[in-house]
Amino acid sequence: MPNLIYILFRRLRSPMILLIMVYAVSITGFVLIPGVDDNGQHWDMSFFHAFYFVSFMGTTIGFGEIPYAFTDAQRFWALITMYATVISWLYGIGVLLSVFQDSVFLNQMKTNSFSRRIKNTREPFYIICGYGDTGAQLARSLSKEGILSVIIDPDAERMNDLEGDDFLVPPLSLCADGSQSEILEMAGITHRWCQGIVTIANDDTVNLTVAVVAQLLNPKLRLIARAETPEAEANILSFGANEVINPFETFASRLSLALQSPSLYCLYDWTTCASGAKMKEPPVLASGKWIICGFGRFGGALYEHLDDSDVKLSIIESDRKRRDLPSGSIIGRPTEAPTLKKAGIEEAAGIIAGTDNDANNLSILLTASELNTDIFRIARQNEDKNSHLFQAAEFEILMQRGSIVANTIFALIRTPMLGDFLRIVSRFKKDKAGEVISRIIGVVEDDIPKLWEFKVTLEDAPALYKTIQTRQVTVREIFQGETLHGSDHREKPLSAMPLFMKRDESNVLLPEDDRIIRVGDRFLMCGTQAAHRQMCNILSNINLLENILSGEEIPTGIIWRWMTGKTLLAKTTSETKVTEDSV
Amino acid sequence: MNSEKVVFAFFIVLALTLNFGFFLGGMDSAEHHNIYELFAAIVVSLISTVLKVGDRTHLGAVFLATSLVADLQLIAAAIVWGIVANVHGEALTGDSLATVVSLSGGALLANLISVILLIAETVSVRR
Repeated sequence: MPNLIYILFRRLRSPMILLIMVYAVSITGFVLIPGVDDNGQHWDMSFFHAFYFVSFMGTTIGFGEIPYAFTDAQRFWALITMYATVISWLYGIGVLLSVFQDSVFLNQMKTNSFSRRIKNTREPFYIICGYGDTGAQLARSLSKEGILSVIIDPDAERMNDLEGDDFLVPPLSLCADGSQSEILEMAGITHRWCQGIVTIANDDTVNLTVAVVAQLLNPKLRLIARAETPEAEANILSFGANEVINPFETFASRLSLALQSPSLYCLYDWTTCASGAKMKEPPVLASGKWIICGFGRFGGALYEHLDDSDVKLSIIESDRKRRDLPSGSIIGRPTEAPTLKKAGIEEAAGIIAGTDNDANNLSILLTASELNTDIFRIARQNEDKNSHLFQAAEFEILMQRGSIVANTIFALIRTPMLGDFLRIVSRFKKDKAGEVISRIIGVVEDDIPKLWEFKVTLEDAPALYKTIQTRQVTVREIFQGETLHGSDHREKPLSAMPLFMKRDESNVLLPEDDRIIRVGDRFLMCGTQAAHRQMCNILSNINLLENILSGEEIPTGIIWRWMTGKTLLAKTTSETKVTEDSV
Repeated sequence: MNSEKVVFAFFIVLALTLNFGFFLGGMDSAEHHNIYELFAAIVVSLISTVLKVGDRTHLGAVFLATSLVADLQLIAAAIVWGIVANVHGEALTGDSLATVVSLSGGALLANLISVILLIAETVSVRR
């Protein structure tokens, strides 16, 4: 705010001085020029009357010649001053209006309102640096989930797009360079409610700078960054970033997973896909000869990951000057049939179009399917606007750079434990991963699966927190619902299962049923949407929880509880007697 | 030589001198205090206020504050004068004139501080 006032006054300085001068001269003139009162007597205008007259004349209100009709000398002076005052007012107002239209002033106003809104925010939010295809998708997903995002991007055009977009939770945005520390500070990096910062600019150096600045300003903050080269990835990871996502690396490693361990691929794909997607069957990728078109960052990453599996790779690269191509590579345009034939398209199992040009990729795959109708086609889509073209072509696998990053980051934001879970799972053997997948499918069945997590604290799960203070509760009792007493309370167990548990520093994958829940445990759950809602109810409603644990209908009111308390007590004592007798 | 500094110093010093000229004289003798001088003092004081507005330094803020005090005191004096002379319709008597003069005396003090600040600033600049 102070900056605004300074800019305003500095611009208004000369019109204000002009106005004061003109008024002073006009008033002095009226005081000095002799007048006549209604009786024809000599009368001098006082400063009071002169100021009054000039005030209503200058503002063009014009009450007339007050208090007595003017002499010709006074009218002469009034004629001059009337133009002088009106012009100086117009000049002043003109400057004022131009200040409000000034881009510097408008930017300052936007910045001020942005920082004020951030300061007044009282809900968890994420900072997103970079609003390209990826940023837009991420912001949309977050807003659907009801999470506030703060977006920073130096590109004014993209910010205009953002203002035009419709959001459920409108994000706060600022057109500025996120790698400046004061901008990040203004965006709330040290704010109490800031949950994390996501930096997904197109430029690795920008992401690196943002990561460094964020780490310096708030070392405890969760940091998720995008990197397109392995060097940048290693660099950002080296100073404490939580997650670094390399779209090419991610996709290449997924693809090699699809070849080697389809169930693990399925697990990755499903946990990091956009919400609302159904669980898909893993794609069947035949081993044999694969053709990679384009040996850039994407092709390179693919080559590295697929090379150690049992497939034969053949590379086509159009750049004749490349010297670092693997042996046996073919130089030529992959869009042309002769080049594809030379690479052995007829007997190939699959082809990956991985150049950085969408039109070329489409052309490669269409030519390829003409030459070999059974070929497995994988397309790389570079720009979001070409979506419908790629969708219409119906390729077997589509690699959208923006979506991969956006979906992975969104999954990590919604369920922060997912990163650790996937890291542990990735070390699994094929059959163990298959077991996890089949258990998940067994729980979720045909429904849309959902991931969520909770912590056993007073805020997150009040009912469970209070209950475990007095008695022991095992994992089975809460999640599996196997200890139900009678079928009238709940017909079937919750369609949910714990995937992963964190207690202090230790990680437990698929926690066993008889594990006792302790305060501070964090659970990563998966299940149906309905089960998620049900579980939220159970965890926060103590009566419902008691009901499930004991099978007894617990009265909600104090009086009823007191009255039934006696009978309950009597019942338990008689039960213990029976067991003693039987022993 | 910086013409902006000349104008700035000119108005600050002029505000003090005009104010002093009006203040000088017997507290209740109307012939010692000229209304034109009061008017000029108000105008110059307002201009020097506008000149000081928009300076972001700490010294600039103090300049602005003292100048606003001077404006306030002088305008209060002018209002007292105007009410006594025009609303009550009587000539300025001893006690009402004393009020006007003492108010302008307060403004004089504020203007004096402005000038002292100006001198301090000038002296501290090393060339």
